[in-house]
Amino acid sequence: MSAADHPILDPALAPPFPVAALPVLRNVQLRKNVAHAIDVIQAKRARLVEEKTDWQALRAAAAAIKDETLENLGGYLEQFEERCTAAGGHVHWAADAAEARRIILEILREEKANEVIKIKTMTSAEIQLNPFLEAAGVRAYETDLAEIILQLGNGEPSHIVVPALHVNRAQVREIFARTMGIENLSDDPMALTAAARNYLRQKFLEVPTAISGANFLVAETGGVAIVESEGNGRMCLTLPRTLITLAGIEKVVRRFQDLEVMLQLLARSATGERMNPYTSLWTGVVPGDGPQNFHVVLLDNGRSSILGRKTERQTLRCIRCAACMNTCPVYRQTGGHAYGSVYPGPIGAILTPQLEQLRHAQSLPFASSLCGACYEVCPVKINIPEVLIDLRARVTDQERHTAGKFFDPMYVGLRVANLIFARAWLFHFAQWAGRIGAKLVTRKDGWIHSLPSVGAKWTQTRDLRGLPAQTFHEWWAERKTASQQVGGSASLRAGDPTLSPEKRRKDGARDVGGSPPIISPKSGEQDGATSKEAR
Amino acid sequence: MSAVTDGRKKVLEAIRAATAGSASRNGGATAGTAAEGHVDIPRDYVRRGDMAVSARQERFVERLKEYDAEVMECEPNGLAAAVAAQLAASGRRRFVTPEGLPPEWLAPGFEWKIDGNLDISDVEQAEGVVTACFCGVADSGTIVLHHGPAEGRRVITLLPDWHLCVVRASQVVETLPEYFDRCREQGTGNREQRARKLPKLVTWISGPSATADIEMTRIKGVHGPRFLNVILVKD
Repeated sequence: MSAADHPILDPALAPPFPVAALPVLRNVQLRKNVAHAIDVIQAKRARLVEEKTDWQALRAAAAAIKDETLENLGGYLEQFEERCTAAGGHVHWAADAAEARRIILEILREEKANEVIKIKTMTSAEIQLNPFLEAAGVRAYETDLAEIILQLGNGEPSHIVVPALHVNRAQVREIFARTMGIENLSDDPMALTAAARNYLRQKFLEVPTAISGANFLVAETGGVAIVESEGNGRMCLTLPRTLITLAGIEKVVRRFQDLEVMLQLLARSATGERMNPYTSLWTGVVPGDGPQNFHVVLLDNGRSSILGRKTERQTLRCIRCAACMNTCPVYRQTGGHAYGSVYPGPIGAILTPQLEQLRHAQSLPFASSLCGACYEVCPVKINIPEVLIDLRARVTDQERHTAGKFFDPMYVGLRVANLIFARAWLFHFAQWAGRIGAKLVTRKDGWIHSLPSVGAKWTQTRDLRGLPAQTFHEWWAERKTASQQVGGSASLRAGDPTLSPEKRRKDGARDVGGSPPIISPKSGEQDGATSKEAR
Repeated sequence: MSAVTDGRKKVLEAIRAATAGSASRNGGATAGTAAEGHVDIPRDYVRRGDMAVSARQERFVERLKEYDAEVMECEPNGLAAAVAAQLAASGRRRFVTPEGLPPEWLAPGFEWKIDGNLDISDVEQAEGVVTACFCGVADSGTIVLHHGPAEGRRVITLLPDWHLCVVRASQVVETLPEYFDRCREQGTGNREQRARKLPKLVTWISGPSATADIEMTRIKGVHGPRFLNVILVKD
């Protein structure tokens, strides 16, 4: 990948989504890698969710647990602080990324650390910790296999659970052979994994300081839980002298017992396993076992501003399983880098702009078809489409008030529409005028295939149905009179209103036995004649 | 350090402002009651399984095997022999164990290191580890360690490449919520007092260490033990 193509995952600097997506859409290998990985996870997840007969009940419980925690977040965080401190931990609070980085560096300085080992944590990527530490003279070693691939290959994460899913085995082999200096390395994943194991073993045994994220903080006990697969997490949580855990404030759950719900949902949603190989929970400092110096940094960094908004608050239920991106038709095509943030996919499309308080990443809420697949798979029932629509409205409100947008064709059009829709007489007049105007551009098949001027953008990829000769109001009035005469009721039937036969073929949609004739409401009156088409 | 308290005040104030009106227990003074507020959570999911004992054990074995663990079943009086057989079959000689294991598990003919406060390098040199556990969960093929006596410090079940875990059938529950019930049964008194009895350290182990980071191909054994062997004692 050339330097120009290097993905930028800083929302403040990243180009808008449609621009950032272009290099990926042209990269056939990358799209293949992404699609393959997603297909595998999706199939595994589907099988294991199906065997769970109480899946929906678990989702409902998880959503309720998270909602209740968020409602009382201040109290629960204080309780966590009290219990964790009582157990020998140190709790720090960081309002933003800079403060979190400063706190972490201070602890490292106290420890005189010039190296740290890290468990994969998206929160540390969010605050761009590694480059900061490097500039401060502390070398950070990532220990998750995918993170090693990215760190050694100078890559960027494209997924929150499998961050290197866009890299294939041949590319991993090349990176490892080059950076670890191994000749004759095979591209067998087994050999590559063994290479990573050897590369890190000494680091685990020698580096006395570790940094982790957190999956759950337990208010009731002051405990912290981390969910992982490889054992690199357990190494970092067990061997070093000092452990620093960076956790978003929304990670807290009220009770130890709440984990009975969360743990059942998380692994199935994330990797399609009944349980991930290792889940660790520890509480402060346990004498004789594990790090004897333990710090938790609680990070706000925009989260409290999400908390204050009714519709958007549900964003903070997220347990970072990535099921939404695995199922998303947009993510499937673009991969993660296009989102210009360490949080890609549907959750990234709502989380990133909110963390940025809509100062950046305004294009992300529009990077969705609103198909709702993400909501359906979300283990904590975040209604992502609902939040997307809300954010779109906020972005539009923000944009409307910026200079230069007043004469933007879209805003002019919407203002005119606003005027018309608010007045019945004007609406009827517009319908009448529209029918006359539309006749000029409507083809014989009853569809408008291309509009003039700014409308051409719309018809580039879509057809517009020509206006019928009769409005609904007119038809309804006529039908009422007719049915009163007959004494029965006619039913209204319509075909697919969005696609003309021509565009259907253009889009490659399957055409079964010739396209069904599109019928206008008018022909729907002749009930018998149309019933066979209405399926 | 005033900078530290400033961050705390700032974050908590922002949270309080954002949750004002929605929270009942948001005041610092009442924070301690958090463990009691669980009235409105719908818990319609399966908390208790309904399998017969033998079916539950079968499920446990099946799910363990599905994630590449090796399982051997034995009667209580055949346990020492089963442990010895597993040790011999492993082809390893140097083992580490926690304090508190029944002495008959430490079969003769092998080199045993008993962990009190062993050096990490001693643990690293062991080829295998033998432990008991707190609980087994059939539904997900999970073994739960609380790192008490006979389970050992976390490090001893981490560095050696081979882990032999003895699970008694009476320790096997069907669902994960049943495990959490067992944890609560450990304590007595009101919720607050029981909360203090909850485990401080827990490791849930489901199969050997694994990764699927390269092309989603599941590879067994990255940093944790590559081999997980389980003896299920039909007590």
